[in-house]
Formats: sequence, C-alpha cells, structure tokens
Amino acid sequence: MTASRIMERDAPMISPPPVVDIRGVRKIYEQGEMVFEALKGVDVQIAQGEMVALMGPSGSGKTTLMQIIGLLDRPSTGSYHLGGRDVTTLSENERAEARNTDIGFVFQAFHLLPRLNLLENVEVPLTYAGMPAAQSRERALDVLRRVGLEDKARNLPSQISGGQKQRVAVARALATRPRLLLADEPTGNLDTRTGEEVMALFGELRAEGTTVVLVTHEPEIGAYAERIIRVRDGVVESDTRQTPKRVTP
Amino acid sequence: MTTSNTSGHTTEPRQEQAVQAVPTRVTQRGIGLGGAFTIAWRAIIGTPMRSILTALGVIIGVAAVVALTAIGQGSTAGVTDRLESLGTNLLTVQSARGGGGGSLVRGGPSQTITVKDAEALATAFGDRVSGVAPSVNSNVQAKLGSLNTQASVMGTWPAYGAVRNSPVEAGDYFTQADVDSRKRTAVIGHQVLVDLWGEGAVPDEALNQTLRLGSVSFTVVGVLPDKGNSGFGNANSQVLVPLSTYLQRFSRTNSAGGQPTVSNVYLSATDAKDLTELQADVTDLLSVRHDQTDPDNLDFQVQNQADSLESLNAITSTLTILVGAIAGISLLVGGIGIMNIMLVSVTERTREIGVRKALGAKPRDILTQFLVEASLLSIGGGIIGLALGVAAAYAGKFFNIAPVFSATPIVVAFIFSALVGIFFGYYPAARAARLDPVDSLRYE
Repeated sequence: MTASRIMERDAPMISPPPVVDIRGVRKIYEQGEMVFEALKGVDVQIAQGEMVALMGPSGSGKTTLMQIIGLLDRPSTGSYHLGGRDVTTLSENERAEARNTDIGFVFQAFHLLPRLNLLENVEVPLTYAGMPAAQSRERALDVLRRVGLEDKARNLPSQISGGQKQRVAVARALATRPRLLLADEPTGNLDTRTGEEVMALFGELRAEGTTVVLVTHEPEIGAYAERIIRVRDGVVESDTRQTPKRVTP
Repeated sequence: MTTSNTSGHTTEPRQEQAVQAVPTRVTQRGIGLGGAFTIAWRAIIGTPMRSILTALGVIIGVAAVVALTAIGQGSTAGVTDRLESLGTNLLTVQSARGGGGGSLVRGGPSQTITVKDAEALATAFGDRVSGVAPSVNSNVQAKLGSLNTQASVMGTWPAYGAVRNSPVEAGDYFTQADVDSRKRTAVIGHQVLVDLWGEGAVPDEALNQTLRLGSVSFTVVGVLPDKGNSGFGNANSQVLVPLSTYLQRFSRTNSAGGQPTVSNVYLSATDAKDLTELQADVTDLLSVRHDQTDPDNLDFQVQNQADSLESLNAITSTLTILVGAIAGISLLVGGIGIMNIMLVSVTERTREIGVRKALGAKPRDILTQFLVEASLLSIGGGIIGLALGVAAAYAGKFFNIAPVFSATPIVVAFIFSALVGIFFGYYPAARAARLDPVDSLRYE
C-alpha cells in the first residue's frame, strides 16, 4: 500500500518510502491582527541515506521548516509523512514517541543537561523510550564509543570542551537509532577547527547510511552536504545536488 | 492543535488511513515512577540549600505537631500520674457558688465549709475513711535569720499526710495535741528548706529550728520530700501548720454563721469500692447541715479523683485540637512555599523541559517528574520535621516533662505533608507539562 501511494505521487522508484515527505506545507502565525506566513507552501522529499543542508538567511522560514520536520511544531496546512507514516494527525503523546524513536536532535547550544554526566545525558532518550536500565547503559556506552568519548562517560558536561559537548549531543541523538538526524546549526557555537571535527563525524555517519538534515546559514557547512535546499521568504528557492566536501582528519 | 487540518486528508482519505496503519517501531512505556524518582532526586540534591529552604515550612509544621503533641501528652501523663499518686480514693469537699446567700453579690463562691463540718464528717464516717483533713491556705513570707522566701502556708490536721498520701522525709507531722493546744509547729516543703537552709541542706538540719511565718515564730517538726514541680502550684513551697493555729494567726476573718471556714476538706475512703457511696453520704450529711434543699444547686460540691481526671482530659483534648489547627496552618503555609519554589523552578528549567520534550518526553513524563519532585520535597521535609520534633520533645525534659509519643499525630502529620506536596506540586507540574517544546527550547 505504501509503495502504491508513492507511485501515485510520482516519487522516485525506490523500495523504502522517503524519510521526509512534505507536501504543500504552510505555516501561519496569527497574533491578534497580525498574520505572518512563515511557510507559503513547501514541498520537500528527503530519501533515506541522504545528507541535506537546509539553508537560508534568518527569517527565511528554515527554522520553522526544521521544527515541523522535527515534530516540534505542526503545519497549518499540508501533509507530512515521516518514514511513510502520516504524522500530521498524531496526538501529543504520539508525536513525543515519534520524536523519541524517529528523530535525533542536535542543537546549536548542545543542550546537554548540566547535572547529568555524559552517559546519563545519552541515556535520557532511552529512558523515555522505556528501555531497561542495563540495556540503555550498554547502548549509551556504544554510541559514546562511536563518537570517541567512552572514556569521559562519567564526566559532567561542564568538564569537557565545546566540540566534545557537540559529539555527546550527536551520541544522544543517535541513541534511539532514529530514521533522521536533525542538526540545527551544529557548529554555530564552535570554532572552525572543532566545527570541522563535528562535520567529519556527520560525514562518517552519512557514510554509514544515516539520513542527516543540517540546518545552517553558513555555506562552509552546507558544503559538506550532497544536496542543498535553499529556503527564502517561506518557499523553497532552489534544490541542488553537489559533490560533498570530503573531510580529511 | 486546530491548525493541523491538512488539505491532503480531504483529497486522499482512504490512502491516508492506510498509511496511518503503519506501526511504530518501538512500544513505549515512558519513564515510569522509578525514572521520575531518579530525575527528581538529582534535581533536589543538585541544589541542596534551595531544597531545604523549600521544604522548611513542612519541616517546621511537622516538627511542631510532633513536639507539641508529645510534650502535651507528656505533661498530661505527668499530671495524671500525680493525681493518681494522691490516691484514687480521695474525696474533696469544696464551697460552691449558689445556695448560701451573699456569694452572688461578691461574684465568687464564699467559703461555706466550716471546721465544724469537717469535725462532723470525721465523726460520722470515721470508720469508712483513713482520715479527714480540712485545709485553708494563704501566702506568707517565711524567714530564717536574714533569708526569706514566699511560702504557701496551709492550716490542716495531722491526718493530712495520710489522706493526701504525702509522708514526711524527716521528723513527723504535728500531732492532734498540737492542734488542740494551737501549738506553733510546722512541716516545711523542700523548697522552703532549700531557700532558708541553703542548697544541699539535709532535712534533719531544719528539725527543731525556729522560723518565722510572717511575724509568728514556728518550730519545724517535719520536712517534706522533693515533689518535683510539675502539676498545679508548687507543692515544694508548702508549710503545713495546725489548723487551729492557722485560724488564730493567719485567718482572713472568713466565717459562715460565726464559724471559721476552710477551703477544702479531704477524705480518703478506706475501700475504693465505697467511694461512690461515701460521696453520696457526705453530700447528704452536708446538705442537712447546710439546710440545702435543691440537690442541683448546693452551696458545696464533693468531687472524687475521677471527676478531676475527666475535667483534665477535657482540657487536654481542647489543647490537642488547638495544636492540630496550628500545625495544619503551618503545613498549609509550607505547601504554598513548595508551590512557589516549584513555579520558579519550572520557569528556570524551561529549557531543560524543552530539551526533554525534544528527546521524547511526553507531557505525562514531565508532569510525573515535577510532581515526584514536589512530593519528595514535602515527604523529605516530613521526615526531617519528624526527627527535629522528636529531638525538640526530648529537649522538653529540661522542663521536667517526659515526652510521650503516640502514633496517630505522627502518622497524620506525615501523610498530610505528603498530600501537601502532591496538592501544591500539581499546578507547577501541570504548567511544566503544558509547555510548548519550540518556545521552551528558545527560552533564555
């Protein structure tokens, strides 16, 4: 059934449905007399394994689009299928579950919980998934090892560098093995060199088959993606493919 | 929520339904109470000073209930013990309002019990009592050399010691002969001994010494033991003298029909089973002697110890209700304190709440987290308050009150404090649960 639906929509003939399938999405903010249309009808499809940069100046609507993709916000109109599943009609609880299992967030400001050590920070989404303690500990150690911070598992966020914090945040985002890694200005708070280190990590994850959406306004960061979707004034201005910049650590 | 009516639904309703049927990959159970407990505990120990200040109202409330009830029950038990040690066989005859003329005009019961009444009671019931002792007293300055102290001088009969279960530590009570001849002999209390003969004085030192009560000199014939200072008045400041001597030297011209009067007459029944009947017989005899016709409005009253215990218990239960009300109010204030800090805490942790929601926390998970935190604070406050209350109650020992702990007030205070946390924690927790993830992530 899923396949027939995709064929009807003239999507490319691939067996899994697109991870993100957004059609005709509008987002209208109303505040008293003021009406502001942040998104004016956006179509975006992102296939599994793609690394996409969502670019645009501030006020372009890229953040709103990211929030809708991340199920933090709902579109005013239009449809959104996440991994083939209609997510516009989900209840608050179902959206929380979907954020937990299907989406991994990486924020500009890292947003690690300051009183928890790195291991416990990575375990937070696993706890909300209801994973038993022993299993979640093991999984959290695995992903920390993946980002090269296993030896700092018992440290507090305040005891590590910015680049390391962002790697912990990536580990946390990966913990529930989501369909989609959603990174909002992941290098915005980092210097160029540590920013490159974090981008190298995203490059590796992309090579392992993880679907990544980078939200950024920096062309140097966008260069790491194989596809750039430019948003301006609430519409998709361009959607281009490119050869991603290779990172040599 | 209402903004999510998608145009896609109206064009392809069937297919949308089919797609919705794709199951989620993981069945989620949420964090559960254990997970919420861990999160809340970390938040509490993360800011220990604030947590203690938050719980302070509950701590003080619970400590107050526990300490006050324990001290209250302790002092009640002390007084009850004293009353019982005085003998459960005791009858006390007192003047009462009403009956005799003139008392209403003066606004208080006049003395209606005369020495003759006491003598009549002794004659009539001599075979049923171990003794009869009238008493009348007033405060008089006691002096020895340059030292002096305030003494409660009581005129009575030698039977007083047996009737009131108050033996001497040294010497003996004055004799009937002393009463008959109005001798100036005295039995002094422990405090009088200490004040006039000095701290650590041996009772024997005072025997046969002469002290002055007011301007009259008396010879000490007996010394009473230390009776402690709990209960009514101070038994240690007593000086007992023969009633006849008292009436001659200290009487405040109280009389009824020309007869000298006394405040009380004590009788102790030989057999406890006879007490009720004796009480009735004493009442009958005095009614005849006082020409009383209305049994509901006598000019005297005859009380037994059970009556005294009953009125004591009535006072105690009133005090208990009062303590409970004060404690309830302080717990309420404590609860408001918790709500206040929890509201501040929710605002401060807006970003944390946003992060948790982005990572998959449901509204219910956030609600549970903050509700458990508030409950832990108030239950923890309850436990600390319990410990402090017990400690404070034991500190009451310095005031000669042994605390008596009973389960009910402790359990009630504890449960109440937990309920306070849940009740006052709900509003802040619900507010946290409702926060919008986008807004809270953006919160600075």
